[in-house]
Amino acid sequence: MKFTSFLKDKILQIVLLFCALGTIQIFLIIYDLGIYIKIYIPLVILLAYFVGILVEYYIKNKYYKKLYETLDKLEEKYLVAELLNGASFAEGKILKDTIEQIDKSMHENVNKYKYLQEDYKEYIEMWIHEIKIPLATSKMIVENNKNDITKNIDEELEKIENYIEQALYYARSNTVEKDYIIRKSNLKDIINEVILKNKTAFIQEKILIDVKDVNVNVNTDSKWIVFILNQIIQNSIKYRKKEVQSKIEIIAKVNKENIVLHIKDNGLGIKKGEVERVFEKGFTGTNGRMLNKKSTGIGLYLCKKLCDKLGIKIELSSIYNCSTEVRLVFPNSSYINLTEM
Amino acid sequence: MPKILIVEDDEKLRNEIAVFLNNNGYKACFIDIFKDVENEILKINPDLVLLDISLPNADGQYILKNLRKKSNVPVIIITSRANELDELISINYGADHYVTKPFNIQILLAKINTLLKRSNFQTLQDKIDAKDFVINISNSKVIKEGKEIELTKNELRILKFLCENRNKIVSREEIMNYLWESENFIDDNTLTVNIARLRSKLEELNLKKLIETKRGQGYILKCGGEDEVY
Repeated sequence: MKFTSFLKDKILQIVLLFCALGTIQIFLIIYDLGIYIKIYIPLVILLAYFVGILVEYYIKNKYYKKLYETLDKLEEKYLVAELLNGASFAEGKILKDTIEQIDKSMHENVNKYKYLQEDYKEYIEMWIHEIKIPLATSKMIVENNKNDITKNIDEELEKIENYIEQALYYARSNTVEKDYIIRKSNLKDIINEVILKNKTAFIQEKILIDVKDVNVNVNTDSKWIVFILNQIIQNSIKYRKKEVQSKIEIIAKVNKENIVLHIKDNGLGIKKGEVERVFEKGFTGTNGRMLNKKSTGIGLYLCKKLCDKLGIKIELSSIYNCSTEVRLVFPNSSYINLTEM
Repeated sequence: MPKILIVEDDEKLRNEIAVFLNNNGYKACFIDIFKDVENEILKINPDLVLLDISLPNADGQYILKNLRKKSNVPVIIITSRANELDELISINYGADHYVTKPFNIQILLAKINTLLKRSNFQTLQDKIDAKDFVINISNSKVIKEGKEIELTKNELRILKFLCENRNKIVSREEIMNYLWESENFIDDNTLTVNIARLRSKLEELNLKKLIETKRGQGYILKCGGEDEVY
């Protein structure tokens, strides 16, 4: 609180004070009292007044300054009421009380949406469990009645399965609570699972796959990584170059402080200005919009979000019209080692 | 024939799995009242159990926990709950595998095969007799009239697959699919090389023109023998 703005608030008091002093002076002149009294009385009154407002300024300034400092330090500013000391003056008390009441009502409101979201997520999870049963049955029917028609249906069923998975992880990515278990998982097993998931595309489109040095363990939730890798691999399949022999290389490099999994393809690549935006929600880019690719802009966005939750770094670099490489960096932190199961 | 018990409440899915298992050399059976499941299982005494977690009036993990007190029968959990926690609990309670719906049935079949083999059930054919020659799977050899020749893993698998589908045209895609299922991600060229090498090895045993190429369709292995399992 600036002293000038504080004084500005007191302007009426000051004007009135000087009016009063003027009136007193008139009386003093009428009764013709001594010069000392004429000076002494207004001086005492002025002094008393200004000492009074100086003290007031000191107290209020100290209080509000502390409030601003606390606000600056806080990341979640709505918590300021908890850290605010009781004020010795009425306005401060009103302020604290107001903030507390606002906080309370805001919390109630936020909680309402939290519960709604939690509820919705539970519904989605349940729905996904339910839908998987008819999906499994359909796949079994296809398996028991193999012909060209059911083979086509099977391919469509696989697409449905992927969309369902995406919905499940989208719901999971939006919750605050921990939804995963970190334990020792073998990268090779995870990668094999993902390759098998996309077996049909790989074989039909004659895409080469080169997996190297992946027999290493990382501490993570393998189900989540299967999902993330699947999104990345599906992008590589989707955005491959028709005119060259498509190839996907997967290689793990063990460093001192981390393990980096590289997934590199020789596909369409991403334009220079667009690389930074691939993890944004709904970003489709030049490749997504042309070529009839039906890009949703959700896949990589979800990958990033899930990686953030798992404490994995995800990076993407690309040379346009040449290659794209995604790197997953698994940290070797001692904390994660402790939670190993 | 090994008996496999399906504990699954969805009737259609259960029937389809049963059809598939019956087609693949197993005897499938199921229960449709989910009361006192673990005693039902003990009464039926199967060689392997496929167990769902969410059952009406019962919980698969609880059933498994109780079952393990009395029996060591191999159990594969089949569920739509795709999370690590349920998997961890199931494995801790003594499940041998945890498979999530919708599952790849070929992989499930492979898991069933190996589990039964481990529990000393000779379901996996150790030797395939194709009249003209015998394939010994356990030591990866082809034997003809006392002469034998060693095959690589890929060659063995290709020959086995062709034998299983003998006198039928098998497309390259089908062969690759089969190899990929056992996590052997070979490409088109490797397959060509493998087949060529397999042919020349078979020729050494005087088995000429055993594998014929059908242009644009695939391969066919022609021989007269019936499967005989030792």
